[in-house]
Amino acid sequence: MMVLLAGLATIASPSFAHHGATAFNMTEPVELKGAVVTEFVWINPHPLIKADYTDEQGNVQHWTMEMGSTVSVQLLGWTRTTVQPGDVVTLYVWQAKTGKPVGRFNKVDLADGTTMRDSQTGADDGGRADTGLRQ
Amino acid sequence: MVGVAGVLLFSALAAAQGNAPRSPWKYYPEDARANEGPGGPAPVRDLSGTWAGESSGAGVQRLVRPESPPPLTALGKQLFDLNVAEGTGVTVAETNDPHVRYCDPFGFPRNMNDQIRSMTIATGPGRTFVMLKFMNIWREIWTDGRALPTNVGGRGPDAHDPTYNGYSVGRWEDDYTFVVETTGTAPETWATETGYPHSAEARVTERFHRTSKNDLTATTTMDDPKLYTRQVAMGEVHFRWIPSQTFFDFSCVPSSVQRYLDEMADPAGDPNAAQ
Repeated sequence: MMVLLAGLATIASPSFAHHGATAFNMTEPVELKGAVVTEFVWINPHPLIKADYTDEQGNVQHWTMEMGSTVSVQLLGWTRTTVQPGDVVTLYVWQAKTGKPVGRFNKVDLADGTTMRDSQTGADDGGRADTGLRQ
Repeated sequence: MVGVAGVLLFSALAAAQGNAPRSPWKYYPEDARANEGPGGPAPVRDLSGTWAGESSGAGVQRLVRPESPPPLTALGKQLFDLNVAEGTGVTVAETNDPHVRYCDPFGFPRNMNDQIRSMTIATGPGRTFVMLKFMNIWREIWTDGRALPTNVGGRGPDAHDPTYNGYSVGRWEDDYTFVVETTGTAPETWATETGYPHSAEARVTERFHRTSKNDLTATTTMDDPKLYTRQVAMGEVHFRWIPSQTFFDFSCVPSSVQRYLDEMADPAGDPNAAQ
């Protein structure tokens, strides 16, 4: 019952962000399958994941994506070593409307099968992923 | 559908966190969630302790947001029009919010109505401190009976310089309500995240009301006749007691903000920005 209520809270809770999502296309995340992490920058206001993604034409795209603040994503189990340079992962990102390879991080599928999400936009619909942890 | 997604997500998170050994140095979401209900009566004349706020991740809901739009004077509107707040249609790259762009302090009263994460209240002889996790802020509230300063921001040897958190005095209105009055806050800071201004002469009144062991509410009003035609309701924020009493650091580091803007926010919000 408690779990059900937590799920229902996903609908009811407002989404207050540190920095908003105005710059990003929140309709469909871009999937970067087989991306190679080049740097994980553990800073506030937002940690940055940097990764190289090779597209179907063989072109390498250098991506940068932001996630919730260090204190927010720690509540979801993130640490400064959750992803590391050289990790081959699948990243999902809400790309900037400018069309540049930057965006708001959604989630990552790690090589061991674990999925880690963002706090503010980590749900599959772009909503908060930490809402289930809320009262 | 969304509810089901939330259920699945919550289950996965709970499972993931359940495997890690518990550390007394961490603040876990369940610290706040486990504190369901009032937890007993409020202690008499005591707000001391560490509290989770709206943006803590602990699920605490704000009760009332600051009044918007507030009743601006002509000068107030002139100052407000200079401020381009981030929000609907305005990206991080486009705002001139001095905190977002330069890591400048929020200042009071914004630091009590924006980014309400966690707060610790500590009481000593003649003073109470309100400390805020977001940006590692402390506010000093004198309870020794002194009056607020006059001639703040004026000229002459008796003048008092405005400060980011202003000058504050506090008193118990009853056994569960602590009233704080503040003036002399730096006028270059914004009163709200939406960019409403305040002057150095603004007088802000906060009523901290503890209704139970676990629940504390702060209701704020602002009187600033230079910029507003009447008293402004600055909202009502709710805090919940954190069982572990852990209080994280959340600094603003200018070099980190600069890197975030250069490599992420400006390319995301400005098609002409270099990347």
